[in-house]
Amino acid sequence: MGTARLLAIKGGTLFGVLIASLLLVIVVLGATGVSDRMMGSIVNEEIRELRQSLAQTIRDPIELERVVLVERDQLIEFYGLDNPWYTRLPDMVWRILSLDLGSARTLKSFSGSTRVSDIVMERFINTVILVTTALAISSVVGLYIGVKLATRVGTKLDRGVSYISAASYALPSWWVGILFILIFSFQFHIFPFGGITSSPAPSGFLNRTLDIIWHAALPVITLTLASVGSWAYVVRTMVLNTAQEDFVTVARSKGLPENTIMNRHIIRVAAPPIVTNLVLGLAASFGGAILTETVFNWPGMGRLYYDAILALDENVIVALTFMFTLLYVSARFILEVLYILLDPRVRY
Amino acid sequence: MGERTRSTFKELLSTGSGKAGVIFISVLFIISLGVVITYPPDFGLKYWSNPVLWADNPRAAPPAWTNLFTSDDKAETIILETSVPSERIPGIGTGIVLYTFDFNYNSDEAPTFTSMTIENIRYNNRPPVLTVNIERPDGNKIELFKLIVRGPLPDEEAPFTRFGETPFRIQFSGDTSVVGSVSNFLKQKFNISMSNQDLLLSGVDTVVFGIPQDDEKFEVLKGSYKLQVEAFLYDDDDSIGKVKFVLGGSVFGFMGTDTLGRDLSIGLLFGFPVALFIGLVASSITTVIGTSLGIISGYMGGKTDTLIQRAADIFTNIPLLPILIFLAFIMRPNLLIIILILTVFGWPGLTILIRSMVLQIRSGQLVESSITLGASRLRIMLRHIFPQTAPFVFAQMIFFTPSAILAEAALSFLGLGDPSLPTWGQILEYGFRNGGIFVGYWWWILPPGILIVITAMTFVLIALGMEPIINPRLKRGN
Repeated sequence: MGTARLLAIKGGTLFGVLIASLLLVIVVLGATGVSDRMMGSIVNEEIRELRQSLAQTIRDPIELERVVLVERDQLIEFYGLDNPWYTRLPDMVWRILSLDLGSARTLKSFSGSTRVSDIVMERFINTVILVTTALAISSVVGLYIGVKLATRVGTKLDRGVSYISAASYALPSWWVGILFILIFSFQFHIFPFGGITSSPAPSGFLNRTLDIIWHAALPVITLTLASVGSWAYVVRTMVLNTAQEDFVTVARSKGLPENTIMNRHIIRVAAPPIVTNLVLGLAASFGGAILTETVFNWPGMGRLYYDAILALDENVIVALTFMFTLLYVSARFILEVLYILLDPRVRY
Repeated sequence: MGERTRSTFKELLSTGSGKAGVIFISVLFIISLGVVITYPPDFGLKYWSNPVLWADNPRAAPPAWTNLFTSDDKAETIILETSVPSERIPGIGTGIVLYTFDFNYNSDEAPTFTSMTIENIRYNNRPPVLTVNIERPDGNKIELFKLIVRGPLPDEEAPFTRFGETPFRIQFSGDTSVVGSVSNFLKQKFNISMSNQDLLLSGVDTVVFGIPQDDEKFEVLKGSYKLQVEAFLYDDDDSIGKVKFVLGGSVFGFMGTDTLGRDLSIGLLFGFPVALFIGLVASSITTVIGTSLGIISGYMGGKTDTLIQRAADIFTNIPLLPILIFLAFIMRPNLLIIILILTVFGWPGLTILIRSMVLQIRSGQLVESSITLGASRLRIMLRHIFPQTAPFVFAQMIFFTPSAILAEAALSFLGLGDPSLPTWGQILEYGFRNGGIFVGYWWWILPPGILIVITAMTFVLIALGMEPIINPRLKRGN
């Protein structure tokens, strides 16, 4: 099978994933009546405002009711509420796929815009500051520790780190965050309780940056600690599995220095799964950390998603689900290409 | 297969983490079993979420054992109750019945509240009158409260029952008539005037259990107190069911209370079976579906294989947590729906792994000879392929359990838990939402989290102990 054809199949599947998750969200919103309910309340709200403003000019109550009713019908038609929810579905899917994210119903950006893309951009930057930074730190540290451990398998250190990383699998990061707030914010007053800046935010670029760093420190430490163990463990296991392959024994029996064996023979081969983790982690980091952002009251993407669900802001929910999936799917596709580049054995 | 399981188990016990995991899980199961036997089935809605039941507990009180670490002795809750009068003084037409409680009060602070509950008063002619007194160690006596039981309704027939279904309950600290009599007492004995407003704010307990100091503050008067209910009954058959006083402390029980006064130890105990249920049920269903589909996919090949693998691809690639949160919110929090969603998104990973194993096993001699002998496909899959994947499948099941427990905890923490079943995540959420971290309610926030971690860790330890069984190559490394 040609490489191009295989990539096309993979790409097709990934596109299917994108459509599936988008449909899942839209269908659930529609079939449960949530979508109709939300739109209905928007119409009612607009009608209420209209009635108030018209009451100033139209004195006759019967005439007023008539005008309001006509307006109401127009609004219902405009939002497509006169037809069942699934008639709106193709439009919505098409609109989202053409990257028109629409505008939010209730949520606003910090600068007051209701366009979903504006809201998302603000939150995206905040999330990168927090989650992507944490990912960068934990992957670098995890890679370093993991490779170190693989060379001394079975030592006390190796076992210790294995246990710690296993333990971190059972440690939910949001709880570690709460723990840290109790210790470092409540007990010792070293870090703030949450938020991204002090209020009021200090003036001047340097001060503001320092303020954000001060606020980001605790959540970044939390996220890093929560994931660095599993990073180290994955790297260690991958390297270890490769280190037991026959070609490594051959390399060693040829008398190659250990460093060369590690860098040229082992890590190169163990790279694909590690890169997989890195790329997927990066894509996931852009989507934010819903729980940690909630604990630290950090206005990022994850928090936005949660706020959107609580406010039942359909457009934001659909747009974010689309973006999360799109990020993931793109990452997967990039990986497919990377595998071919990284692993000489993968030649379809 | 039995032989295999036994040797697997033996090997599991030979590792330190396996041993620890098995011990932990036994403890978890014993506690859960105890809870399931002793707790009422509708505990969540009827008991835990019913504020009336917890009204007599101090609110947001730390555990009682914290007294060991503080210099000041915090007040512990004192509960005095009886249904038998301590004395009867007969009279002509009227009889006086006394309920007397003698107790020592030795804390360094006054009670946080004092409440009285009276149940089941029955009378035949005239409604009884009850007065409540307290006699202090310094000999002073305060008449706190007078209760005149409501008279008969026009078409009501004797005997009349009052406070039968809903007991009469009064919190002295917030009651204006009690405040009035305490302010009178202050005026007469210590010549101090304090407005009712101020007394309501500072609470009557500091006065009732204290002596005024020069700095206008009150110091706790330690010693033996006597609380007395004096009931005037007008008929020999009149009776009072139960009299109960609660002197609220500021520490409570073994695990403390939340802001509703709920005893956290009771809620936390209930969390054990729920967590195990979520973890084990979600992981068993997921494992069964994942393994069957994986074996079918790997062994049957062809269109079936393609179909299952495409479906698996789609499900693994949908970001789980956002969808989980979304569905849990839209479909109303319900434990079974949470488990269902976890299963729907959990099976594909296992299916993909099992399929790759089956592809190897399929070309093995065992399967080939079975085909030659004419074994059916179902028989081959069940008897020859599945047993070879069994230890791996079991390990995967163990490994999936903590993620199910943690996922439920995460949902509960976002306020999407099933309200009819209190879980550790929900207790934690309630503490967090009530600003527990800002005021330092550590006894409320730490224990549920620690229990979640311990439970998840137990399964991780077992999975860790199984590692050499699953991946024998790692043994060589040791």
